[in-house]
Amino acid sequence: MYPPLTILGDTLTWLVENQQSVIEQTIQHLNVSLTSVGIALVLWVPLGLFLHEHDEFAPPVIGTAGMILTLPSLALLPLLIPIVGIGVAPAVVALVLYSALPMIRNTYTGLEEVDESMVRAGRGLGMTDRELLFKVKIPMALPVIFAGIRQAAVLVIGITTIAAFFGAGGLGESIFAGIRLDFPRQVLGATIVVSVIAIATDYGLLAVQRALPGGSEAT
Amino acid sequence: MIELDNVRKVYGDGTVAVDDVSLEVPEGETVTLVGPSGCGKTTTMTMVNRLTEITEGDVRIDGESIQDTDVIDLRRNIGYVIQEIGLFEHMTIAENISIVPDLRGWDEERKQERVEELLELIQLPQDVKTQYPANLSGGQRQRVGVARAMAAEPDIILMDEPFGALDPITRDELQDEFLDIQQKLDTTIMFVTHDIDEALKMGDRVAVLRDGELVQYDAPKDLLGSPKNEFVANFIGEDRVLKQLSAVTVREVMNAPQVGEGAGENPLSPDDSLKVALQRIFQQGDPLPVVEDGEVVGQVSEADIQAVTDRRTSEVLQ
Repeated sequence: MYPPLTILGDTLTWLVENQQSVIEQTIQHLNVSLTSVGIALVLWVPLGLFLHEHDEFAPPVIGTAGMILTLPSLALLPLLIPIVGIGVAPAVVALVLYSALPMIRNTYTGLEEVDESMVRAGRGLGMTDRELLFKVKIPMALPVIFAGIRQAAVLVIGITTIAAFFGAGGLGESIFAGIRLDFPRQVLGATIVVSVIAIATDYGLLAVQRALPGGSEAT
Repeated sequence: MIELDNVRKVYGDGTVAVDDVSLEVPEGETVTLVGPSGCGKTTTMTMVNRLTEITEGDVRIDGESIQDTDVIDLRRNIGYVIQEIGLFEHMTIAENISIVPDLRGWDEERKQERVEELLELIQLPQDVKTQYPANLSGGQRQRVGVARAMAAEPDIILMDEPFGALDPITRDELQDEFLDIQQKLDTTIMFVTHDIDEALKMGDRVAVLRDGELVQYDAPKDLLGSPKNEFVANFIGEDRVLKQLSAVTVREVMNAPQVGEGAGENPLSPDDSLKVALQRIFQQGDPLPVVEDGEVVGQVSEADIQAVTDRRTSEVLQ
């Protein structure tokens, strides 16, 4: 066993010595994660809006999204390989699917929970359904929608690590190699970088949310 | 003018919320709708901007049925002050006030001008424009709610318990301010409240509702003087006579002045209420001279005031 301080020192040394490949893997990692979050955003937030307009579909859709999230990524990824091939593609597909629950559920719930009196106020002032959605409901649901996006982003950055096992690249490569070689400093070093990316993304999105109109109270 | 013509509202489960109500709100007048909760007052009022769709009957504005008007146009032409204020927390005060002008497509400059004009009218400093509702006090927010309803200069304003969420002192202040504003504007107003004192103070006419039916529709002093039945009398309360005194002016009961009578030290004005007159009489003795523009125009004694309450009370008992 290593004393903790030695591990930390060794890890830092490893990070410095391997900065070239760490940076490369970080870029790959971010590439896979952000592509997935981007695609998920375009698909799932509008789907949440659709469910708000068509309540009857909400339980089956949100139920399915919840089920997907229970599939272990180590099982889902190899299942996708025969369909979309190896490399980045199955990873992105899986990550988009994993984002479904937080994004759809939060968009839907956020819109459903807008105070009824606010909706009534908008109607009474003469807003059309569309104006009501864009001027009242979405801005008021934005904190909840954003919380879903942040949750999905953190989740995706974590699971991208597993995708390396199936050839998607990213910091997972260092971690899996470190496990195989029984080289703890490498496992720890790459893990720390993944955590830093996840936390930074979470705070980055929070900053975006705060910069939006009326978002100064966001937490 | 707003005309409600035998309107009924029956919900899907068979509940009758409003049952055959007919009333007219004359141009430029304020009508208060008052009654216990669940009496249908808000439902009746929101029929006018079709937030509640009528089951039977018709509502006409200046002779034209609201069913023939596009519902969005109809609402944009009617000011609406919402219960519990209803400001949008994600919009600045200026944005909140200019919602309807914005929906109607006014240009930026015209909206800004209107916002400034309204802030002046409701006595708020111009620098609240860029603030959010959360930064304002309850009284200030309510003022903004009123300004928002007036923004596009509607001929009609509907107000749903606009001052209900305020403490009594602020409420009183806002009521007075609103009465002042209303005198300048001459808007036709329907005003829902559960507070009979507010209804009597704000309304040119008061509609008392109970279980979806219109029980009585009269000017405040007639309502006080001759409540139609026990329900109305009870709703007005034990201090009905005192309220009545507040609603009648000296001008209505004063007698011709006695020749040679001086103005005295602290004369009454013809526009003082009988409540004020009675208080002065208790302090200074009667009869008291009434002075208008420096001239003695009449006098009032305790017996004159007594006669008003007696006559009206006996009318009720018959």
